[in-house]
Amino acid sequence: MFLPDFDYHAPETLAEACDLVRDLGPSAKVLAGGTDLLIKLKHGLVTPTAVISLKALDELKTITHVPGRGVVIGARATHNDLVNSPLLHERFLSVSEAAHKLANNQVRNRGTVGGNLVNAIPSADLPPILIALDAWITLVGSNTSRTVPLHSFFTGPSCCVIDPVDEILTEIVLPDQQTTGSTYLKFALRRSGALSVTGVAVAVTMDGDTIVDSRICLGAVFPVPVRANDAEDLLRGKTWSDELLAEAGEAASCCALPITDIRGTAEYRLDLVRVLTKRALKRAITEGHV
Amino acid sequence: MSETVKQDHAVIGKSVPKIDGREKVTGAARYTADLKFPNMLFGKILTSPFAHARIISIDTSEAEKIPGVRAVITHKDAPTLKYGISPARWDENIFCIDTVKFVGDKVAAVACIDEQTCYKALAAIKVEYEELPAVLDPLHATDEDQPQIHPEFVRNINAEIHQDFGDVEAAFKDAHYVRTDTFVGNRTYQTPIEPHTATSMWDGEKLTVYSSTQSPHYFQYYIAREFGLPMGDVRVLKTYVGGGFGGKLEPTGLEFGGAILAKITGRPVKMFYDRAEMFAHNRGRHRQYMTITSGVDKDGKILGVHADFVMDGGAYTSLGIATAYYAGAMLTLTYEFDNFRFDMLRVYTNLPACGAQRGHGAPQPRYAFEAHLDNIAKDLDIDPMDIRILNARRPNTTTPNEFLVNSCEMKACLEKAREISGWDEKKGNLPKGRGIGVATGSFVSGAGYPIYRTDLPHAAAMIKVGEDGTAATLYTGATDIGQGSDTVLCQMAAEAMGYTYEQMKIVAADTETTPHDFGAYASRQTLMSGAAVKQAGEEVKAQMLEIAAEMLDFPAVDLDIREGKVFSPGNASVTLTFEEVARHFFVNRGPLVGKGSYTPPKLGGKFKGAAVGTSPAYSFAAQVSEVEIDEETGEINVLDVWDVHDCGTVINPALLEAQVHGALFMGLGESIWEEVKFDDKGRILNPNLSEYRIPTAVDMPVVHSALVDSYEPAGPWGVKEVGEGATLPTMGCFRNAIFDAMGVSINSLPLGYEKVWRALKERREEGPAE
Amino acid sequence: METIDDTRKTTAGPKPKRYVIDLTVNGDPRTVVVKGNALLVNVLRDELDLTGTKKGCELGDCGSCTVLLDGIPVDACLVLALEADGCDIVTIEGVAAHGELDRLQATFVDKAAVQCGYCTPGMILSAKALLTKNPHPTEPEIRAAIAGNLCRCTGYVNIVKAIAAAAEIETAATESGEAR
Repeated sequence: MFLPDFDYHAPETLAEACDLVRDLGPSAKVLAGGTDLLIKLKHGLVTPTAVISLKALDELKTITHVPGRGVVIGARATHNDLVNSPLLHERFLSVSEAAHKLANNQVRNRGTVGGNLVNAIPSADLPPILIALDAWITLVGSNTSRTVPLHSFFTGPSCCVIDPVDEILTEIVLPDQQTTGSTYLKFALRRSGALSVTGVAVAVTMDGDTIVDSRICLGAVFPVPVRANDAEDLLRGKTWSDELLAEAGEAASCCALPITDIRGTAEYRLDLVRVLTKRALKRAITEGHV
Repeated sequence: MSETVKQDHAVIGKSVPKIDGREKVTGAARYTADLKFPNMLFGKILTSPFAHARIISIDTSEAEKIPGVRAVITHKDAPTLKYGISPARWDENIFCIDTVKFVGDKVAAVACIDEQTCYKALAAIKVEYEELPAVLDPLHATDEDQPQIHPEFVRNINAEIHQDFGDVEAAFKDAHYVRTDTFVGNRTYQTPIEPHTATSMWDGEKLTVYSSTQSPHYFQYYIAREFGLPMGDVRVLKTYVGGGFGGKLEPTGLEFGGAILAKITGRPVKMFYDRAEMFAHNRGRHRQYMTITSGVDKDGKILGVHADFVMDGGAYTSLGIATAYYAGAMLTLTYEFDNFRFDMLRVYTNLPACGAQRGHGAPQPRYAFEAHLDNIAKDLDIDPMDIRILNARRPNTTTPNEFLVNSCEMKACLEKAREISGWDEKKGNLPKGRGIGVATGSFVSGAGYPIYRTDLPHAAAMIKVGEDGTAATLYTGATDIGQGSDTVLCQMAAEAMGYTYEQMKIVAADTETTPHDFGAYASRQTLMSGAAVKQAGEEVKAQMLEIAAEMLDFPAVDLDIREGKVFSPGNASVTLTFEEVARHFFVNRGPLVGKGSYTPPKLGGKFKGAAVGTSPAYSFAAQVSEVEIDEETGEINVLDVWDVHDCGTVINPALLEAQVHGALFMGLGESIWEEVKFDDKGRILNPNLSEYRIPTAVDMPVVHSALVDSYEPAGPWGVKEVGEGATLPTMGCFRNAIFDAMGVSINSLPLGYEKVWRALKERREEGPAE
Repeated sequence: METIDDTRKTTAGPKPKRYVIDLTVNGDPRTVVVKGNALLVNVLRDELDLTGTKKGCELGDCGSCTVLLDGIPVDACLVLALEADGCDIVTIEGVAAHGELDRLQATFVDKAAVQCGYCTPGMILSAKALLTKNPHPTEPEIRAAIAGNLCRCTGYVNIVKAIAAAAEIETAATESGEAR
């Protein structure tokens, strides 16, 4: 296997990077961890003549809590940076756990959160839990900066709202919130190095046994990560019980529109949504952010 | 065998470290792809994008113009003699002439100054195809309206087997109970972590090929045949090989194409497959459709068995004729019955050709039979362990297809498995969702006959003792592909010579410097290569004793050598070191050399195909597994596996146990996860290691392995095989554990989470039984 | 990183740019000239002749090309050489010091954790990174650390044993065989 020839740029500042993205236009690709981009290059799926590496932008690597904003995750943070972040362990262990379910250790050491999001594959493991936790992202262009709720970031398989000839995803923000529990359950056909057949993330806000609110996000069962609004509506304000969660599972599978592929049939995936939703809810309700 | 005999060994029976361990852990070990030669070029093969198509034209002119491209070749540059590994059907060309027969079939090749230029050159070769209808469903390959893949093989029948032993119909008539079940196997791949590489170079009319091969001999034989060269002008050798498992047994386009490119350019050419190409070219395990009918008496004693199979051979024969025979032949080994019929159709399809993979043809039928036997046991309300013990083969028996079985501790294996797994406490008493299953397996310790007809010995060895006796070098054609034969054979050499393992060196698997050996397949080397090594070692020892007797002026018959010391068992004052004697020998008589060779006895019956499955000795194994099933998702959680093996005398316990782990691991992968899938154009959908899922470290359960005492009279020191036998029971064992846990039968491999989920769903929808 | 400006044109169009990068490989300072598309695995194997780093899949699935990049295990097939500019790299050739096997290398040999040996370099480097960070891992931690290193020979049983032995911990895997 080989990579096509390209020029390599490693801008020293974000502004410089944004200018390069704008100036080089569609012939350039932004390189973060490379675990997706290099594979696409090897398969000939993209053939840029220039690669803009974010390698030098260390400011995009931090995970910090900013009062008033929430937990701010730099887009260049690797999956293992999430796995090992004491801040996330303390506030949203579910995000660390979701990151740990992704690929394998070596890939987690290179692959970045930003790359995972921009790559926008429907079975990605991070979007469901980040959406369940109401995350939003910042896109910076040469002259612009905008924030986008993550749930409206994805527009289709491998498609998102980022302007590829002007913008760079710089950060993911998990806002301070009332949620009392969250978790991501991944169903895959091997325990490591396998894409998810179905993934379900939930975040719940409990008041005693009452479900004040919940967010349920389904992965790999729709062209984009999708909220299970029907299930959320059904749960709102109710006292939780196994029966109620089972009903929510049924409702969630009505929100999915999976395809049949090499990893599983649509029929199987729908039923997995049901089972995983029910289990994820119980876990988040009874165990907190896990 | 008794403990006292075991203790008598000085070198064998000990877990000495691997002779190549240090090189491998330091990264010093060079595999074929690591070798560099001055002026070396890189080569790649252009393959067919269609499952079945006529080649209208090939235009290489644009490719030839690219800077750095040194040669572009097609069938016009290659010998057109058809080849294959199975001489029964030579049906493959180095490059396709008129038609391509599967996605990946070889069309052209290039040699370039670097890898990147190779891909540019391949993309610049223009091939015009006329796409033809393709045969993709093996069950319909023989239909009248199907396209013909090879004109000479009518209705796409590659091989048809009908064997009949005893009287199966009468056995079924007399039976208390007759049952028929149908199962489907999966197409899997050996998936060695090292992709295949070959580097070819010419020195005048002599061709040298470094290859990641399991058998330098077969490569040499077929390469020489293809190019019309004397075998002596073809040297095939390997350095380190990163796993084979059957996939590196036959020469490929890399060797044939590389030889042509090296000849044309006058430069060494390194050819290699990437991972995706390994799937198209590695001749994986055949998918089999298996219907088995058995009749049993009221106690569950098997009276007769009929196996009726269809096998998807893919586009070429490869080693598939042997595979087809093995599929039925090996069913008669673990249980005793007198009446057996075997019908097999191996069909051509426009899919990649299949060949030998660990357990060669036998694991899927074994899965089918073990599942079938559990169905019978359930119908008759017999414990699955009991029905196996009742039917277990005994030593010194003959199978209906005329295999002589000497040592056989099948019953002891089952009893020990029952004990160490806690079978009796667990069976029927496990919590909901958990189950326990048992299955057996048996495999050859080397094939009774070579792949092509020849009277060459199966193995030969030579030992040269250094002039001062401080080292001895074993020269063997035996091929270490990771299983540890270099280590085990050096232990055997040292044992036979009365020497130490630590002083042994080895030169192996080089057709020019080492004596002939057929290589690593059919689990043959410990017994067959070992027998030759033992003879060579004994010849050294005899010469040593003779000269030591002269030196000591003491009768040779009263002397012995052990661990480098010459001594008299009856007289402690008589002693010399090995070094002293060896040096004296060299000074007075010249090089101290021992040689040995091994040819198995004439084996097997006279019926058609009688040779396949014959062996001097058979290993036996029983496995028990415990699984936990997620009732809602179908997820299979393998908790524990117990393997009990009868593999004769053990040369190196640590390496033997490691073989069990590896064989079981491969069986586990094939049982639950591994399968290549195709689209409706015959293209592999998952030619990579993320979607072709071999188990990772977090998927592998705890493995308990145990042995039963056994001594095989046909093997040196009583040895027999282990490397493939432990793959055989695994698939049936897991199916049976799932059957026990959930009461549903998964009738196709891989057992798969969705299949379990679906079976449970269908049962729920059918409503409660009875 | 310095760029070599080479404006010569070839028949195939402008020549791709060349870049000069500095790597510290197993303690040795190395300066290499690469194209933008050069992969770290190929620079190690082809330019520096460190062929202990293997290629098994080239897609980050098998871990045969695992090296330590500033102490962290990565697949060298998914790292551009330019991305490693200025970094410290350890390959399998740098694990043994002064001809003495590292403890992990010794336990891999002792525990029969090596069969064909092709996955071994990557496996040892993954284990090395684990033990540096976590000297006494649990068995599940060991398994998780090497889950990105595929082995087709051993079933990982003896590999887990070897890493456990190097870390001096007891594991379920070390019990296998004791049923005998």
